Amino acid sequence: MSRSLPALRRGRLADAASRLHKQAGVVLALVLLVLAATYASDRFLTVPNLLNVLRQVAIVGILAVGQTFAILTAGIDLSVGAVLGLSVVLFARLLEHHGLVVAIPLGLLSGAVAGLVNGIGIAYGGIPPFIMTLGMLSFARGLAFIYTGGTPIPILNEDFYDIGNGYVLGMPIPALMLIAALFACGVVLRLTPFGRCVYAIGSNEAAARLSGVAVRRYKVLVYVICGLLAALAGLVYASQLSVGTPIAGQGYELDAIAAVVVGGTSLFGGAGSVFGTFVGTLIIGVLANMLNLTGVDPFVQQLFKGALIVIAVFVMSRPSRG
Amino acid sequence: MEARGIWKYFDGNPVLSGVDLAIQHSEVHAVVGENGAGKSTLIKVLGGIYQPDRGILLIDGAPRRLRSPRDALAHGIVVIHQELSLAPHLSSEQNIFLGHFPVTRSGLVDRREMRRRTEVLFDRLSISVDPGCPVGQLSIAQQQMVEIAKALSLDAKVLILDEPSAVLDDDRLQILFGVIRRLRDQGLGLVYISHHLDEIFSIADRVTVLRDGRPTGHAPVADVTEDWLVGRMIGRDFASSPPQSRASGRIAIELRGLSRAGQFDDISFSVREGQVVGLAGLVGAGRSEVAQAVIGAVRPSSGSIAVFEKAVRITGPHAASRLGIAYVTEDRKTCGLLANRPVRENLTISNLKRFSRLCFMRPRHELRFARDLIARLDIRLPGMGHEIRKLSGGNQQKVLIGRALAVRPKILILDEPTRGVDIGAKQEIYAIIERLLAQRVAIILISSELEEILRLSDQIVVLRRGRVAATLSRTQASEAAIMRAAAGGL
Repeated sequence: MSRSLPALRRGRLADAASRLHKQAGVVLALVLLVLAATYASDRFLTVPNLLNVLRQVAIVGILAVGQTFAILTAGIDLSVGAVLGLSVVLFARLLEHHGLVVAIPLGLLSGAVAGLVNGIGIAYGGIPPFIMTLGMLSFARGLAFIYTGGTPIPILNEDFYDIGNGYVLGMPIPALMLIAALFACGVVLRLTPFGRCVYAIGSNEAAARLSGVAVRRYKVLVYVICGLLAALAGLVYASQLSVGTPIAGQGYELDAIAAVVVGGTSLFGGAGSVFGTFVGTLIIGVLANMLNLTGVDPFVQQLFKGALIVIAVFVMSRPSRG
Repeated sequence: MEARGIWKYFDGNPVLSGVDLAIQHSEVHAVVGENGAGKSTLIKVLGGIYQPDRGILLIDGAPRRLRSPRDALAHGIVVIHQELSLAPHLSSEQNIFLGHFPVTRSGLVDRREMRRRTEVLFDRLSISVDPGCPVGQLSIAQQQMVEIAKALSLDAKVLILDEPSAVLDDDRLQILFGVIRRLRDQGLGLVYISHHLDEIFSIADRVTVLRDGRPTGHAPVADVTEDWLVGRMIGRDFASSPPQSRASGRIAIELRGLSRAGQFDDISFSVREGQVVGLAGLVGAGRSEVAQAVIGAVRPSSGSIAVFEKAVRITGPHAASRLGIAYVTEDRKTCGLLANRPVRENLTISNLKRFSRLCFMRPRHELRFARDLIARLDIRLPGMGHEIRKLSGGNQQKVLIGRALAVRPKILILDEPTRGVDIGAKQEIYAIIERLLAQRVAIILISSELEEILRLSDQIVVLRRGRVAATLSRTQASEAAIMRAAAGGL
């Protein structure tokens, strides 16, 4: 007993320290990148530019927050880009005849429903998340095309336009939405029994089940959150572009997954955080911004992004192996 | 083939200590021993999977080194493992000739020749299996035959069967015995691993007994008795520690005719508060499956469970824990540990409700509980934030017991609670169990260690092939009595 007690007193501190240690690599990468960007362009470290970066990463950032839930349970959600697309056309169509109070809840609901279907298929149908959400990707995109007949729907509602383009307290509204989503999801994951179970399921699903965790119910909830956040990202998208196009968000699921893994969340589940995801999102966003500012060819930018993802994950996977 | 003075160490501990085994042509040589006696390791040495640290293998009188299973195959030594290694989507003939297909002159697989040779092999075994049928659609017994045919196609001279009976019912077993006798008469040397003594007497010509990696007996089967074998397997006339009688209370849980098709059948026993019922039996006897059914992880097909004399329906581990039933798994790694999560989270995952209010965790409350439990169970850890996988096996096991205690169980099922822990931790776990009994917890203890079962149990239920083979009171129980009931042939 005597041997264990001093260690226990350090409990919470050690907890915090070990968390910090795990995130240190990602944060350091971001700091280095910011330094590089500052050096590369005078315009980088200015308030308007930084706010611009935040606004640009908001959509993928919100998707990535949802994706973090799925990946923490050792699952994945490939359908978030398509679900975003579906919600975008719904927002646009509903705004033709209704106000914001109708359009926004219904649009968000569509994402939650898509997530619910995903979750039920995965948790109760036993379909692998990769397959289930791949199916939903195609299905949701198909619905978006059918619903619009393939033509974009213009959005004329001015209040709606403000959501994606306005400012509150000097901050772009999309950036505030991203931060709110991050904060809420961070609290859920860190401070609620549900969050605990998300980590437990990802760490060892059989053990979680035998410990009495309602694994299936929580898995459904995870995919509902994922879908809901996809629709929230759709809200930002629709209002930023003021048009409901059925091709909205194509390929975004991969950007979201990239942000999550660059942020240090393990694809094997059970380890990671939304804070890491936020940093991962910023790393990708800052890199893109830096390359834009220095006038790098957009085609070449793709190479940088690809290399960044692989190198980041390679570097981070090394210490944890020991 | 002959093995002389084989030693094998794992992490510095001897698993085989000077084992000799001579396999003659036209003979069935049985190797018996308790769980963990070193039978599987011996087979792996014979089959070229492990290299012995000391000792030599002689094949036809000449010393050989078997560096790989391929090497062993080249010398005509084939092992048929308990877990069959067939490709389920390929037909039986394709499986048999996988890696050495007969080919035509143009280099393509000669299907007609393959079919012909397959039929010759099946003939030799006197079995009827459709050579073109995918193996996955065959019964386990038929798959076993396909494995044997595959061995013959490789021109096996020594055939090693690792617990082939574990997956067979009695009728199928007789068919297997027929095949084994036929092969023996055709000149093969066979090694038959089993812990069912009755099988030894009906199939083997010669028997070698292992205990703790040491050979403890070797004789022609005709010259030995069951008592002799049991004595060699357990190695001592075990005098159990004088049972201290425990105060018992109400019946906490009662199983009435619990059955699950293919796993266990008509299991009945009851456990009182403050008492231990030990479930003994060989690996595969159905002990863990019964435990899984009690906590609702699998559904029994018939029978019922009563908790404090009230019939209950347990729909899952969640429901079980609400009834005050907790389970500590035998399989720490795959079903127990949240390996990359901290100790604290591992302790409290079973009862988060207890540590939360209005949908939020109460971290301070949780931490206090974790600290208290860590002190009570004397779990040694570098720090609360550390991942559980960094603890030793014994401390991991104590965490899992702590996790079960977090639900304040009235009924606790411990499945191999001291597997893979060192002696010190073992004693501590026994002390924890005694303390729980004093708090009137009812315990079902599953263990393959007879000593452990005898030491802790008030009553012992011995399972054999999914059925209750014997129910022994503390005074009736002895290692020999348990072993005899577990291995069959009372």
